[in-house]
Amino acid sequence: MNKTVNINLAGIFFHIDEDAYLKLQRYLEAIKRSFTDSQGRSEIISDIEARIAELFSERVKNDKQVIGIKEVDEVISIMGQPEDYLVDDEIFEDEPQPTQKRKSAPSKKLFRDTDNSYIGGVASGLGHYLGIDAVWIRLIWLLLAIGSGGTFIFIYILFWVLVPEAVTTADKLTMTGEPVNISNIEKKIKDGFDTVSETVSDVAKNVSDSVSGAAKNVSNAAKKVDLKKQGNNIKSSSKTFFDTIGDIIMFFFTVFAKFIGIILMITGAAALIALIIGLFSVGVTNVIHIPGLDIIDIVNAGNTPIWFVSLLAFFAVGIPFFFLFYLGLKILINNLKSIGNIAKFTLLGVWILSIICLIVVGIRQASEHAFNERVIEKQEFYIAPNDTLKVRMVNNDTYGSPYRNHQSFKFAHDENGERIIYSSDIEIIVKSTTDSLAFLSIEKSADGRDYSSAIERAKNINYHFKIKENEILLDNYLSTEIKNKFSDQEITAILYLPENVIVNFNNNTKNFLNYRTYDGNIVSSNQTNHFLKIKTDEVECLDCPDEIDSDMQDGDEGIKINEEGIKIKVDSSSLRIDKNGLKANSSDVKVNIDSNGIQIKSDNN
Amino acid sequence: MKIENTKAQMRKGVLEYCILSVLKDEDAYVAEILDTLKDAKLLVVEGTIYPLLTRLKNAGLLNYRWEESTSGPPRKYYGLTETGKLFLNELNTTWSELQNAVNLVTRKKTTKNE
Repeated sequence: MNKTVNINLAGIFFHIDEDAYLKLQRYLEAIKRSFTDSQGRSEIISDIEARIAELFSERVKNDKQVIGIKEVDEVISIMGQPEDYLVDDEIFEDEPQPTQKRKSAPSKKLFRDTDNSYIGGVASGLGHYLGIDAVWIRLIWLLLAIGSGGTFIFIYILFWVLVPEAVTTADKLTMTGEPVNISNIEKKIKDGFDTVSETVSDVAKNVSDSVSGAAKNVSNAAKKVDLKKQGNNIKSSSKTFFDTIGDIIMFFFTVFAKFIGIILMITGAAALIALIIGLFSVGVTNVIHIPGLDIIDIVNAGNTPIWFVSLLAFFAVGIPFFFLFYLGLKILINNLKSIGNIAKFTLLGVWILSIICLIVVGIRQASEHAFNERVIEKQEFYIAPNDTLKVRMVNNDTYGSPYRNHQSFKFAHDENGERIIYSSDIEIIVKSTTDSLAFLSIEKSADGRDYSSAIERAKNINYHFKIKENEILLDNYLSTEIKNKFSDQEITAILYLPENVIVNFNNNTKNFLNYRTYDGNIVSSNQTNHFLKIKTDEVECLDCPDEIDSDMQDGDEGIKINEEGIKIKVDSSSLRIDKNGLKANSSDVKVNIDSNGIQIKSDNN
Repeated sequence: MKIENTKAQMRKGVLEYCILSVLKDEDAYVAEILDTLKDAKLLVVEGTIYPLLTRLKNAGLLNYRWEESTSGPPRKYYGLTETGKLFLNELNTTWSELQNAVNLVTRKKTTKNE
């Protein structure tokens, strides 16, 4: 059984078998290619078509008879092969011009060969297209699918969707056209170069012929005609020369385009796969609510459902990449199914919509930080001058963090099993006060869309501290209920201390103290673990190694006398006399004589 | 140098002359011209003639008119123009000269070989 096609050949109607039709079509195409427009191609073709119609008419006994491949073969043998149509000047050369170039391989297209399929016929279709046995393609698919962790399964599905199935005989014939393999590509390039070199030598020959001919027989009228003819010859030769160059350039351009296509395809596919994985790990886990993965939900102070945001992001980023992938595939495969205008515009619409939604969500999220408000809690306590106040951080065993970490937060369960957000965004500031009472001020601050929500969030920060017997215990974390979201909650603990109080910061406060002192803060993080005496807007370190030590530690042992004074340093002992007074240090005893009087400090007391 | 090419070249060289000669006395359509040429074994395949006819027509040596056909598509009846007739006369002279020359050369050689 065969499908038939109705054709109109020079105004006559014929039924023709599909395979016969394709053969006839290829035949006429080949003939068409052997002429140029200047030769009156369309006229020649219509004459030939009329003759073929006549020959068919002779063979058709009645209206119902169908023209088969046999009749077409007969007609072709009568009419001759495309080469026989070449009656141009070229035929009078010793060797006829190579015709392979003009004939050109029948254009093959990529189809899915569902007749020999395992899954979707993609591999066997590619096998036909590339001229490789489908078994190898299947093997490569399998290796790629395993090696890429499933990525190529996705690509396979895309091929399946986008590559049309070879349904008709026509498709199947086009599918099994001449394979594009390395040897053919090689052949094609070689043919191209051969033609170019031949044409170049022809042109050269023609030029020299006509020049010498002209020189010899300038007066000869007949020769003049000849010269004119030769001129035409040169013209046509150079034309084919440039045509060939054009062909070669086109060939390389095509190869380049296919290469670009492959790159686009891989980029698009990789991005899509990454996005899909991303969407699943964010979106799905959020819907299923796996404990411990609500982090994104906590940051999301704007209360936008996270699956919605990730879906928007997926569309906003994924759709352009899908088009990139599609473009790449389209460059590679000429007869790719179009995804259709409706699909295209829908995708475009979804993309624009996603972008708009993302912008709105972004603005909402940003507006959540529009107000930063704080609530202050103060506690006074008494500490006698020259008493030592100790300050240390207390960490909670379950969720304390020894490091102050600005802008970070974690998620944990409190004693009652409630889920809470905790953060270690705590800062300690020390100031001197002229009051006789010391006091600790705890500032809780948080961001919010408006004043009340910011205040509300600040109030909902849980933070504990204890003051007992000259010791201040500060939590090294703050916590808040999950419904408050993470909205830049932070604690600033400001310690106001009367002058002459001695304060000692435990080493574990290091990360919570500012790294330097400034107007508002008189204790820096490198002054922990020392006894510091509060002065007006500064502290005096009572047990710090003297600055002179650090001055002299640079290995400058010996005696130095200059305009600053005298420095003597031997081993660990040093003596310094300058405008401040006298300082003498040794490993056992330190003597200071300055504006404060005389201080003597030894290791023993 | 292939013998087929040389043969084809020889045949094709005189083809234009033959086509014009066929049309000397009366107009004819392609199939008739082809029949004459094929009977004379000048043509093996029909395809060759179409570009030639078009070229001759474009050169102003031939013109054509359409005639309806009962069995197939309308036919192009070709005929010689005035230029074509002059051209043919010139070719006639050339051909007889060539024939003589070829005869002379080939006969001389044959006698020599004998």
